[in-house]
Amino acid sequence: MNKLIILLAFSCLTIGALHAQNPTFSPSTYTAEDQVTLTVDVTGTPMAGEAEAYIWIFSNTSIDRSNAALSAQYPAADGSTNTNWTNSPPEAKMTAAGTNKWSFTFIGTQIFGQSPAQLKDFGFLVKTKTGTKQTSDYKPNFFDPLVFTPTMLRVFPAKVSTSDIVTINFDRSLGGTVNEQRMTPVSATVTAYDETNAQIGTAVTLQVRVFATNTWAATFIPTRHFTPGAGHQLTKFRYKFNGTVLDVSGNTVNVSSAEQEVTFTRMN
Amino acid sequence: MKKNSRILLILLAAIVTLNACRPDKFEDTGAVRNVKTSFGGTWKLSKVTQKDEDAAQKGFPYSTLDLTTLFPYTDYSITLNVTNSGQTTTFTTTPGNSPAVIAVANGDWNAGPAQYPTYLAFKQGSATDTLTLGSYPAGGRNVLQLKKERRDASTGKLLVSYTYEFTKQ
Repeated sequence: MNKLIILLAFSCLTIGALHAQNPTFSPSTYTAEDQVTLTVDVTGTPMAGEAEAYIWIFSNTSIDRSNAALSAQYPAADGSTNTNWTNSPPEAKMTAAGTNKWSFTFIGTQIFGQSPAQLKDFGFLVKTKTGTKQTSDYKPNFFDPLVFTPTMLRVFPAKVSTSDIVTINFDRSLGGTVNEQRMTPVSATVTAYDETNAQIGTAVTLQVRVFATNTWAATFIPTRHFTPGAGHQLTKFRYKFNGTVLDVSGNTVNVSSAEQEVTFTRMN
Repeated sequence: MKKNSRILLILLAAIVTLNACRPDKFEDTGAVRNVKTSFGGTWKLSKVTQKDEDAAQKGFPYSTLDLTTLFPYTDYSITLNVTNSGQTTTFTTTPGNSPAVIAVANGDWNAGPAQYPTYLAFKQGSATDTLTLGSYPAGGRNVLQLKKERRDASTGKLLVSYTYEFTKQ
């Protein structure tokens, strides 16, 4: 009986750990002009057990750097605390927040020296002062936008939960590649993932409709298409648009847009 | 004699004037209308609008989307039962193939606060779904407007809303 209780308790702890978000942010949503405190648990990383921790922080990690327009719109920048990898300054020192847990408070526009329109997301890692030990990158962590920036791929509403009506949009005029700029979309592919980053079921193909000039859209309800396994939850989805272009010989060629990832927001 | 007639005339004029100053009697307007009775009946969903509240608050484009024809929302209807005295009782929904509108299928409903309701609450067992009420479907207006708000679970910030317009059958 005791073994059964221990087993049950261990199972609960394991499931709880799987569902735990790392890092966490306070407040949970924040713009580039808001003060935000990140807290990260470095258990299981080379930084576990360290007495001190320093942050190495950088902006716009989700941008496809092969896309010149996006790269110009969202330049990559180091945080002002990234002065010297082998000798981090006191400003980069993180605050202890429990065993193997460290927190750091900052304002996006201040630490990166970029405007709200230039900041889409940020990434960071935790290191020792001299850089002999470090974690892997925690990225991307998205800022809540303060200004509307037209993009080729757009989700409506901007924040969605798993039970919301979700509309994905493709604006050909904002395409980053020749194929994206010439493509006539016929379908959209949506793939869903759980909190362990495992794909849920198979990808779903949605029919697209014309939304406006050069813009196509597809609408779906995540919970109707994707059912996570027992003990797991729908955490995010990725989508892309598929269509055709004509090659130099006039032949029809199937092409797809770049893919975008959207994390579900927990709502009441 | 002539003097007496003049005094009498002035007296008569004074009586008529003073009598005219008396306030009119107004008819009794009767009991206060119970608006809950106007909610009774079967209501069919006729329009659904989704709003990105955060985008609207920031003045972004693309803040609303008409969902009515994107899913079979017009399948959905709800019957609100109310007594002649205006007491709310039970409700039933007929969803058809419509996406979820009210989180509970049938049970008891109530409108609150009592005299001038601002919301309708639908209860089935321990589950309750509360929707904000638009203008009252009173007089010649046969439209019931309900709004469902979705808020960030951790901050409580309003992020998305759905406005459902029902037409009385």
